[in-house]
This record gives sequence, C-alpha cells and structure tokens, in this order.
Amino acid sequence: MDIGLIAQHTVNGLMLGLIYSLVAVGFTLFFGVLNVIKFSHGDMLTWGVFTAFSVYLGLALVGLTSPSFTLVVVALIAMAAIGFLGAVIAKVLIIPLKGAPPLNTLLITLMLGTVLRESIRLFYPDGANPKHFPALLPDWSHSWGHFTLRFDNTAMLIVGILMIILVQIIIKRTKLGMAIRAVSQDEETARIMGINFNMVVYVTFAIGSGLAAFAGVIYGLYYNELSFNMGLLLGAIGFSAAAVGGFGNIYGAIVGGFLFALLQTVGAAALPFASAYKDVFAFGVVIVLIAIKPTGLLGEKETERV
Amino acid sequence: MSESSRKRSSFLPSLLAVLAGVVYMVFFLAGESQMVIFGLLLGAGLVVTAFKYLRVLDVVGESAKDNQRAFSIAVVMGVLAVSLYFYDDPFVLFLVGTVLVYVLTCLGLNIQFGFVGVLNFAGASFFGVGCYTAAVLTKNTAVPHLVIIFLGGLMAALLGFLILIPVLKTRGHYAALVTIAFALLFKTFLEVNDTLGGPQGLKCGALNLFGWDFNRDIVIGSFEGCFYLGYIAVILLLLILGFIMARRMEDSWVGLNMDAVRLDETVSACFGQSIPRWKITAFTIGNFYCGVAGAFYAMMLGYIAPTNFTFGDSLILLSIVILGGLGSMWGTVVATIIVILIPEKFQVLQEYRFLLFSALVIAILLFRPQGLLPRPLRSYITLKSSSNR
Amino acid sequence: MQNVLLSISKLGKNFGGVTALVDLDLDVARNRILGLIGPNGSGKTTFFNVVTGIYPTTSGKVAFEGEDITNFSPQKVYRAGVARTFQRSRLFLPLSIMDNITLGDHSQLNNGLFFNLFRRRALAAQYREIRDKSRDLITIFDPDLADRLFEPVVNLPMISRRRIEICRALISNPKLLLLDEPSAGMTHEETFRLIDDILHIKDKIEDLTVIIIEHEMSVMERITDYCAVLNFGQKICEGTYREIASDEEVQQAYLGVD
Repeated sequence: MDIGLIAQHTVNGLMLGLIYSLVAVGFTLFFGVLNVIKFSHGDMLTWGVFTAFSVYLGLALVGLTSPSFTLVVVALIAMAAIGFLGAVIAKVLIIPLKGAPPLNTLLITLMLGTVLRESIRLFYPDGANPKHFPALLPDWSHSWGHFTLRFDNTAMLIVGILMIILVQIIIKRTKLGMAIRAVSQDEETARIMGINFNMVVYVTFAIGSGLAAFAGVIYGLYYNELSFNMGLLLGAIGFSAAAVGGFGNIYGAIVGGFLFALLQTVGAAALPFASAYKDVFAFGVVIVLIAIKPTGLLGEKETERV
Repeated sequence: MSESSRKRSSFLPSLLAVLAGVVYMVFFLAGESQMVIFGLLLGAGLVVTAFKYLRVLDVVGESAKDNQRAFSIAVVMGVLAVSLYFYDDPFVLFLVGTVLVYVLTCLGLNIQFGFVGVLNFAGASFFGVGCYTAAVLTKNTAVPHLVIIFLGGLMAALLGFLILIPVLKTRGHYAALVTIAFALLFKTFLEVNDTLGGPQGLKCGALNLFGWDFNRDIVIGSFEGCFYLGYIAVILLLLILGFIMARRMEDSWVGLNMDAVRLDETVSACFGQSIPRWKITAFTIGNFYCGVAGAFYAMMLGYIAPTNFTFGDSLILLSIVILGGLGSMWGTVVATIIVILIPEKFQVLQEYRFLLFSALVIAILLFRPQGLLPRPLRSYITLKSSSNR
Repeated sequence: MQNVLLSISKLGKNFGGVTALVDLDLDVARNRILGLIGPNGSGKTTFFNVVTGIYPTTSGKVAFEGEDITNFSPQKVYRAGVARTFQRSRLFLPLSIMDNITLGDHSQLNNGLFFNLFRRRALAAQYREIRDKSRDLITIFDPDLADRLFEPVVNLPMISRRRIEICRALISNPKLLLLDEPSAGMTHEETFRLIDDILHIKDKIEDLTVIIIEHEMSVMERITDYCAVLNFGQKICEGTYREIASDEEVQQAYLGVD
C-alpha cells in the first residue's frame, strides 16, 4: 500500500475526528448539564462558519487582508458570537422546557436547527449555493518521498487538540468546571450549595456552541467550502459520537468522534465503489455498538430517580 | 359525571360544520388569484378564532364526539362531494389525492409517536420505500397491484423493524438517532444506486385493479371525469380502513398499553408491560401505513425521485402530527390539510415551508403542546356502542 | 402452605461507590403486615427497587414462595405476584382513573392485537368486567371517585391519587403488596382513613402480605404486625413496633448519635 496514500487517509481521518469530537463534546456537555439533546448543535457549526465567512468578507471590504490576522479575528468573533447565541437559546428555549418530556426538547431543538438552516438558505445572499471558504493558513509544505506534510493541516490539528485540552482543563480544574460537574450530577444539591444553576447552564451552552463554531472554521479551512446544510450530517454524526462514547462523558465524546472518523475512513477504503456507503457503514457500526452497550463505551451518567 | 347520564348532543352542529367546510374547500380550491386565497385564509382564521371564543367550536366538538359514526360518514361524503365538484380539474383532484395520501402517512406516524412515543424522523423515507417497491414491482413484474400496495407497506414495516431492533432496549433519543441516520442516508443511498434509477428516479406503472386502468378518464354516459377520481376513491378507501384500525387500536387495551409505555416505562414494567413489544408493534404498524401510502402515491404520480424523500420532508410529516395533536387522529386530518394544502394554493409560502412549519412546531411545543385538536380521553366509546350497555 | 412468603438473604446493593444495602437478611411472613422503618437514605426504597427488579442486586438472593427471583425483570416479578406503589406518586397523569387502575391488571387482560382489533364484542365484555372491578375497588376507598372513573387523574388531589395507586396495585390480586410511603402528602385525618381502608382490604382479601414503608410512627403502630428497622442499608432491629420503638440503637439512628 502506498505510504503517501495511507498518510493522506490518516490526516483526513484525524481532521474529521477532530471536527466530530468538537461537536460531540458540545452534545455531551448539554446532556450532562440538562439532560437535553440539543439537536440544533450541528447547525450552530454552520452559523459559526458563515459568521466567520461574513466577517472575513467584511474585513476584506475594509481592506484588511492579512490572512493570519484575519483568521484569528474571524475565528474569535465567530466563536464569541455563536457562543452568545448558544447561551441565548439556552435561556429562551431550553431552560423554560426543563420540565417537559425530553423528547419534546429534542424535537424543539431539531426544529430550531431547521430554522437556522433555512434562514441561511433563504436570507443569506445566494444562501442556497455552497461558497468558497478562503485558505487563510499559509500553504507551506514539506515532502518526503510520497508523503507530504502540510503546515495548515498540522496547525489545525494541533490547535484543535489544544482546544479540546483547554475544555478538559476548564471542566476538570476550574471552579466553573466544578460547578458544571456539580450541576450535571445533581441539580438540586448544586443549587442548595449556592451554585447559580441558570448561569452554569448558559455558560455551558456558550462553551459548547463556541466549540461548534470553532469546528466550523476548521471545517471551512480544511474543505475550503461552506454550505447551508453542512451542519445536518455533522450534527447527526456528533450526536452519535457522543452517544457511542456515553452521554455526559467528555472522554467518551472525544473517543466517539475519532472512532466515527476511523470507521468512515476504513469504510471508504474498504468500499471504494461508492463513498456514500462509508456513512452507512460508520452509522451501522456505531448503532450496533450502542445496541451492545447502551450506556456508551465509556459510560453514561445515571439519570433516573425511581 | 357518570357515563350515560349526560344527554347525547345533536348531530346538527357537526353536520353544519362539515357542510361549511365543504363549501369553503370548494372556494379555496377553485381560487386562482393569490389575493383571493389570502383573503380566504385570513377570513377562515378570523372566523375560527371568533368561534373558539364564542364556544361554537366546543358545541361542534361535542356533537362530533357523540355522533362519531355519522360525523365520519359526513366527512367522507364531503370529500367525495368536493372531488365530484372538480370532476374535470386534474390539478385540484391530484391535490386532493395527495392530501389523502399524506393523511394516511401521518396517521402511521401518529401511531408511532402519539401512541407509543417512538420518534420517527424517517417518515418520508419509509414512504419512499413504499414508492420504490411499487415502481420496481409494477415495471418488472406482473404482481397484482393491490398486492403491490400491500407489499409496499410490508417492505417499509420490515425495514423499520430491522433498524429499530438494535435500539429497542435503549432510551428514546437512540431511536431518534437511528431514524435520523436512516433518513439522512436513504436519499444518498438512492442517488448512488443506478438500479433504482439514481438521481433521476424511476417511473411507476399506473394503478390497475381487476383490469380497470386507472389512468384512463372515467366516461359514464355523458359524464366525463378526470381519471384522478378513481385514485381518490381508492385512497379514500385505504384511508378509511387505516383510520378505523387506528381508532380501534387506540380504543382498546393495545392503545392503553401503548400509552403506559409512552408515559412511564419503569412503572409499566412493574405492572408487566413488555416495553419492546409495544414499541415494535407501533413502529411497524406505523411504517406499514407509510409504505402503503407511498406505494399508492407512486402509482398515482407515475414517477418518483429521491428528492421527494429528504430529511426535511420527514420533518414536515412530523410537524403535521405535532400540529394536529399527538395521538389525535382527526387532528392529523386537519393538520395535513393545513400543512399540505395551504402552501400549494398560497404559492408565496412554498419556498418558506420548512422554515415556517419548523417555527410553528416550536411555537406549538412551547405554548400549546397538545396541538390543535387535543387527543380526547379514552372513553372506550367504540366498545360501548358495539355492545349492549 | 409455606409460612415465609419472601425471603431475603445477604442482599447487597452498591451504586458505584455508594452502598445502599448491606448484607440484608429478612423473612417476610405470609399474611402479615411488615413495617419498614428507617431514616432517609437508609435503603428502604432501594430495597423495594431491588426486590421488584428495577435495580440489579450486587450480591445476595431474593426468594419468593420458595422460588429464586433474584434479578428477575420487573415484569417477571409482577407476574410472580408482587405489586407496588411508588414513593413519588407515579400515576399515568393524562389518563383517566379507569385507565390507571386497569393498567395494573395487565396479566388478566387479553392484549393480543388480533383480539383487540377484531374481536370487539369479546373485548367489550372484558371491558365491562374490568370497569366494574375497578369501580368496586375504588369504591372501597372513595365512593365519590367511583362516579368519576373517566376523569383524568392529573386534576385530582394527592390523597385521591394515592388511593388510585393502591387500587392499581391491588387489582391484579397480588400476593405481596409493597407500599412506599402511601401517606406522604396527606393530613393526619386522611392518613387515618387511608390506614382504615388498607386494614379493611387486608381483611377482605384472603391471601395478602404487605410490606409498608412509612415515616409516620402512629401509622406503623396501628397497622403493622411487626417491623424491621434499616440504617445505612443494614437491618439494625426487628420485632413488634413496641419492641423496636424502645430499642436504643433505633432511637439513636433516628435521633442521631451523641
């Protein structure tokens, strides 16, 4: 087998795994804190990359075109904006529905996702057509024989992993993270201990949504493309990655994300006749895994009080 | 309030309501200009709101509830009347047929979500399974068409059964995941599969029952009716059958057990319910409805393509079920008319359908989760009338 | 006929790091009312949940009528003849009183699809039978409710809901009835009436054994034949109410250690 090809597949798989993990972490955080499946999460990714793209266009209009500077600004603004949007959604839709049956919340957020998606298609200029996301990272590369190491992919991978590690640190080592974990375990007790429940929820949603926006920017940089419905499949994949890893478990989300990417890559390599089947394969395996271990590979949090 | 102490209310109010509905429908379907349509919609909205506050709707509701059989017959007559009025208008008749097809489909989804609480995000895909079954069988085999319609339902039911099995013992969101994945992948699967026509789709043979070719116009003496009338008659029959079965299921121990499973799985288990049994039963039966509707629709339309079976289409179907009222069958009927008919006539809405109806569902779930026509309490009324009290 | 209906041996239950039940030994005599007492968190409801199969055991055995039912599914435990109520009243709120009570009798109803769809006459007969059965049962507790069989439960006050929940448990003629704080949310007077009703039922039904969890000591004194006291998942005392009430360890458990 061609080393270069394997390397290419590996890099591809890692990038996808990173993106999926970022989305899956959001899903798992939301479930941990509120027992909700926020199905509009994939579309937050779309809004993230569209925000970044719009800011980029705006900057270009003003004459600011230095790519690395633009990239940082664009990414930060997108993350902040979508993080804020996530908190707003939590305040307006999610918390008011706390007492409702969980499937209702899943439904509402799924419909919200459609609203987000369709809004771009209908109201963004030429929204129905895919757009070209600029290559804002320098395209340095170094080749060893058949294998080419690209700077941009490496940089994205490193930053992405750092981002995940950052979230991990926030959750495990900071007071905020402790509050989030407390609320995940037992809302009532957390409240009694003086934790501002609503604020924790808003912050959690902001973090998760910001991560999605970040994942969107990475997606845009890697595939050089953005389209209004890109979040749909990504959301479904993120959801299943979080599920297979175990809802509420961050490590599970990360494992799930990379696992799904691995399955897709294996599927694409093993079934070369149609790339669509790689998704069927990946989803199929994941569903079988969920069937075998319904609480997830790394364990789901206990939710019911009898 | 004991069972038989209240006097049975008159059939007149609901009969008048049906007549009013028929007249309105005729005007609505005949309307050409967008202004007229808009005016009619606005008018209907105002009248209904006014009636709600004047308690007229309650009176009609009581009347319908106490005279269910008569009311149902009146509605069927009304549909036939409207169809016959437009006897030579293929566009309107096709629309009527489409609405009836969707009512049957959404009844199936209502059985899944409204009765047992299983969320099916792939309703359009199971519908599509029925369509493709019909297309393949009509064009390549000599299987009788009634059997094909049945097989369409069977294929959908079987496929649904297969994808639900792995997640039977898990929580609700996993069933959602499985159907979401199925919905997303179904369209892609069809597009890459040239044996099933690929992105262009397939042609499907016209319905042919007992030698009668349904694509021929109906000529009886001096009466020349559009051929869609025949299709409407058949789908109406299928719908009536499906409606009665769903109603019977609801008004029996089966419906009761499904309610228990939906409302509280733990307690249901403690009283002997087999959770997987009822989930599978409802899911399979519901998909059967979708498949039957799909198979019939393919024959009526004559041609099918993967673009009809997207995730968005499945969401529209779910919107209908939620808008009408979970577990409410008449609610599904009303909601289907609203969601399918209005954008067809009021063209400006077509482009905004997904956006509009998703927002509507959000509003409903927030402010009126029981839907337009909330499901009435089980009163075993069909059992009481079929016995000597 | 065996004297011991339910036999618990060395029952243990852990949730991760939390120990809910430790080495529990208990024999429940047939036709008696056993009271289960203990401070909050002592494992009483967990005990019910393990016996009824909602939680798997970590260790130990549960035997019912001599048969080992350890780790049976809740459905199988129910079919063996065990029915229960829940600490937080868990009725099917949107459904009617009749629906709720009927759901307790699952094993007696013909639930086959064909029967329900096509044999409507026979179904109607079965419906009438169980309607009358439900009506008779609820009349014992509250004749007023019997006239409102088809009203939704969600609108009813707590005492009515508790009664309906007990009817739901009783309609299947269980051999063992587990009552989890049936008087929670009731006034003294309502509690008194409820206990009257339970004793009345116990007299009418031949073969009925009851285990009741309660915090109201006056209830325990009135209704129980004997009691067992749990603390931190362990049984610390067993005997008649008088005996356990005067036990030092029990008093300490409830009032705290000096």
